[in-house]
Amino acid sequence: MAANSISVRVERVSKRFRNSKGRSDVIAVKESDFTVAPGELVTLLGPSGCGKTTTLRMIAGFEIPSSGRILIGEEDVTMLPPNRRDTATVFQSYGLFPHMNVTDNVAYGLKIRRLSRPEIDRKVTQTLDLVGLAELADRAPGKLSGGQQQRVALARSLIVEPSVLLLDEPLSNLDALLREQMRIEIRKIQKSLGITAVYVTHDRVEAMSLSDRVIVMKDGQIMQIGAPQDVYENPVSQFVAGFVGKVAFFPVEIAGKSGTGWECVLNGKRINVERAAAEGIAPGRKAVVMARPESLRLTEEGAGFVGGKVRMNVYLGNSVESFVDTSYGQVLVQIDDPASKRVFAEGSTVGITFEANRIRLLSDQE
Amino acid sequence: MAARKKVVHLLVAVTVFVAVDAWIYSSLRGAFHAIMAENQTKDIALFAGSAPLDPARVGAWLKTSGDILPGSRAVYLAVDATSGNFVYAAGDREVDALVRQNAASEDFKKGLDSAYYLEPFVSAKSYTVPGSAASPSITGRLHFAPVPDDTGAGVRGALLILSSGSVTGTYDELLLTLAIVAAVLFITIYWVVSFSRDAVMGFSILGLFLIVSAFVAYPLFESVRLTFVDKGGLSLRIWKEILTPRYLAALWGSVRLGLWTASFSTIIGFLFAFLTERTSVGGKKFVATMATLPVISPPFSLTLSIILLFGNNGLVTRQLLGLSNFSIYGLGGLVVVQTVGMFPIAYLTLSSVLKAIDSTVEDASLDLRASRLRTFVSITVPLAMPGILSAWLLVFTNSLADFANPLLLSGSYQVLSTEAYMEVTGRNNLGGGAALSLLLLLPTLTAFFAQRYWITRKSFVTVTGKPSTRLTELASKPVRIALVAFVGLSIVLIMSLYGTIVAGCFVKNWGIDYSFTLENIGEALRQGSKAIVDTVTLAAIATPIAGILAMIAALVVVRRTFFGKRLLEALIMTPFAVPGTLIGISYILAFNKAPLLLVGTAAIIVINYIVRELPVGLETGAASLRQIDPSIEEAAQDLGADMPTVFRTIVLPLIRPAFISSMSYTFVRSMTAVSAIIFLISARWYHLTVQIYNFSELLRFGLASVLSTALIIIVLLAFGLMRLLVRDQGLTEKTVSG
Repeated sequence: MAANSISVRVERVSKRFRNSKGRSDVIAVKESDFTVAPGELVTLLGPSGCGKTTTLRMIAGFEIPSSGRILIGEEDVTMLPPNRRDTATVFQSYGLFPHMNVTDNVAYGLKIRRLSRPEIDRKVTQTLDLVGLAELADRAPGKLSGGQQQRVALARSLIVEPSVLLLDEPLSNLDALLREQMRIEIRKIQKSLGITAVYVTHDRVEAMSLSDRVIVMKDGQIMQIGAPQDVYENPVSQFVAGFVGKVAFFPVEIAGKSGTGWECVLNGKRINVERAAAEGIAPGRKAVVMARPESLRLTEEGAGFVGGKVRMNVYLGNSVESFVDTSYGQVLVQIDDPASKRVFAEGSTVGITFEANRIRLLSDQE
Repeated sequence: MAARKKVVHLLVAVTVFVAVDAWIYSSLRGAFHAIMAENQTKDIALFAGSAPLDPARVGAWLKTSGDILPGSRAVYLAVDATSGNFVYAAGDREVDALVRQNAASEDFKKGLDSAYYLEPFVSAKSYTVPGSAASPSITGRLHFAPVPDDTGAGVRGALLILSSGSVTGTYDELLLTLAIVAAVLFITIYWVVSFSRDAVMGFSILGLFLIVSAFVAYPLFESVRLTFVDKGGLSLRIWKEILTPRYLAALWGSVRLGLWTASFSTIIGFLFAFLTERTSVGGKKFVATMATLPVISPPFSLTLSIILLFGNNGLVTRQLLGLSNFSIYGLGGLVVVQTVGMFPIAYLTLSSVLKAIDSTVEDASLDLRASRLRTFVSITVPLAMPGILSAWLLVFTNSLADFANPLLLSGSYQVLSTEAYMEVTGRNNLGGGAALSLLLLLPTLTAFFAQRYWITRKSFVTVTGKPSTRLTELASKPVRIALVAFVGLSIVLIMSLYGTIVAGCFVKNWGIDYSFTLENIGEALRQGSKAIVDTVTLAAIATPIAGILAMIAALVVVRRTFFGKRLLEALIMTPFAVPGTLIGISYILAFNKAPLLLVGTAAIIVINYIVRELPVGLETGAASLRQIDPSIEEAAQDLGADMPTVFRTIVLPLIRPAFISSMSYTFVRSMTAVSAIIFLISARWYHLTVQIYNFSELLRFGLASVLSTALIIIVLLAFGLMRLLVRDQGLTEKTVSG
């Protein structure tokens, strides 16, 4: 359908809300600036209240930025009302019209665009087929399951062939299994239509598995923009590292630059860290080393960089998660393919070790 | 940056428009002045031509110049046969003095020369003639009109008329008003279109503001203003007059009546509600219907039946008990009538509160070995307390604002609402009436705000939407029997009251001759048909307008944030708290003069209906809208629907039950309105309730009964229709879902 995809540009956008009681304003979005390339799916990821939904609503036109511009393609749409923007939103609560059946819900946008009756019928059939709802065309929304409602909402947005598809935590009301299924489906449809999409979620697995790029937000500010692998492997801060995946932090002191990275002192032992964040890293400063559970290994007592005691082992089939109490807090170590590796019993004293190229140096600031 | 561009656009557009507006205004004004001046010159020339030949009659003729140019002052100069000069012959001495004084000026020379050659002339400059005993001072141009001699070729004299531009003055004012209105309209429209992303919504908000400021704020302001004005100056005379024991007795009378009525109503309402919500007695639906029936009963109907039963010639008092010195008129009778009429308000509030109290908390208390009485006193009553207080205050406010019942039944007992009415109609003292009804506002507003902001916040009961299926019987058997007996008796009383009205239709002369007749019906319909038709027509006009306006207002209030939203909401809600008497008086004060001269028209009645029912419609619509996920509307807008389309295709269908019920409520309340309407009716537009009142005042109780019955039937029909329409929607929804 949409072969000629279009870009979305959010240009230094801020949004302040007038606080209903006090005079002070609440800043929901601070100088947000990013571009979504044509046909790309970008996810806004962050904890609740980070401004991701507000950003999406400004792209859709439900909120007006306090400053900055929003462009869809070349057009400045900052002040345009939603009905005059070529965007379609899938809402968290779906927002299905309860007084219309599935067909009328899906056909609504086409009726507004005054298409002919046969044209509408043809497209509705086609779109319902696409989302697999052909048999439920006459149902009322209230008589559909959550997943089916989700599909109706998706079909209703897709049928108007929008330049930009906006999805506001569309899967948050579904159970885990259905969520995974719908996730794959949404990605498949979005790719096949080549439609530019912005996806809001607080679920990191969703963000990782769906997106071309992820924008991690916190307190109204963009923390990092990058491909899923990039934000996972090379987070710029402890916050991003922690938000996109499980992680352990070890405080270190930076001794100086080495040939392949930074010389650091961890627990009195010298280590060489090859990868480091750009900011807050300088000789003599305190910093942290981040390590993902899958890059950590358990060794005999006394060996490794940090010592600890196994508190609990959680058996997951393809892996075992060992929770180890250390003097730096609890550290999660993931042991893949546990049948072929050694798993330390609960209560045993162990050492924790990692490889220099699998860890990353981050500023000790949050 | 975008905003700055818009401001520049706006300023340019406004400047251009104002310039064009001003240019059109000045050129129209100039053209009109030219035409007027030409006409005037012609008229004066004609008048001059009609000058009598007889010099003795010139003086009398000159006096008629005022017919042509009102307020003008004239002098007649005759041509002196010897010198050939113009000399004073007759007319205004002051004008003559002016002529002498300026005779040498260029203006006057030209004027007199023109006159000499039979050419009319108007002075270039304006002149002022000081006032004299006969006529006031005047400033204007001097017209020189030649008076030709009998040959028509020579000049016999000259008529000099000084006239002010008073004719053009009123026209100028009109033109100026139009020009300013055009400019203001242009600026607001342009402003809304360029700064509101949603012009339709912007205009809706603007329109609502316009309506409430013109028909709520302005009249009330006029009322308040009038009470502080005396003989054109600021004065406290009216308030000094009102704040005397005579009128304060009426205030105390209102409050005392309110206290009694509210207390009785709350107790009875609680007993009814306890029976229907907290016991397992059968026939609850019937009890609930009977308990809500009086809330829709038209004014005067209960009073009427009370008078028929317990009045001076009442069936019970005179015929059955043979009492001759019993009087139902006064506080006692009023409390009875108001309690019967208003306990449903308490019942409705309390039944929803009692319904919402979860039985499990009572179970918990019983489980902890508290007795049933103890549980009731320490659990049920405290939980219901906010509801009880709010029911009490609601009835109190209603009792204070009540106008119809005291009007017929107060006797020598004074209450404010009827005192205000008497002050206006009896003593023609509008200011006093306004002051009295403002006095009534004091307790009413106190109760209103206490109810709205204090009690609703203290509520413990949260509606979970999950009514507990089980019910613990708190009332023991004897208590239950006593409760049933009391409620049963009350229902019998209510039914007999309504029965009495119906019986009244068929009785020849109540109190004297109880023989059966159908004559009343014919006569009542003959005399009352105009009132019935008028009332139904006006209410039917007001209903859809009020309904749509209320839903738009609800949408605006619930879904939008904008500057002045609180104010708009407050203004819309104001008529709910303000007694009808005050609104009625305010309306005759505000709309009996320009620019909104509406008294006597159908419009003022329709507007009054709309404004008074808007609050309930707004509340109903807003409550309904708050239940609806805003993303439904956003989805529609997102799919390309503009605001009117969203309203039509999404909002209105979704809040249809609220829409229909608010419309039927408006219709019924308009049909049964008295307190404000009684001030606004005229010979052209009459009102059914006022007709009932008039019949009752004339002791034509049979006719009053027929019209009351007719009104009750109309009201029931309206509610029946509403039920049908709401149920109809349920059906369509079911068919849609298959």
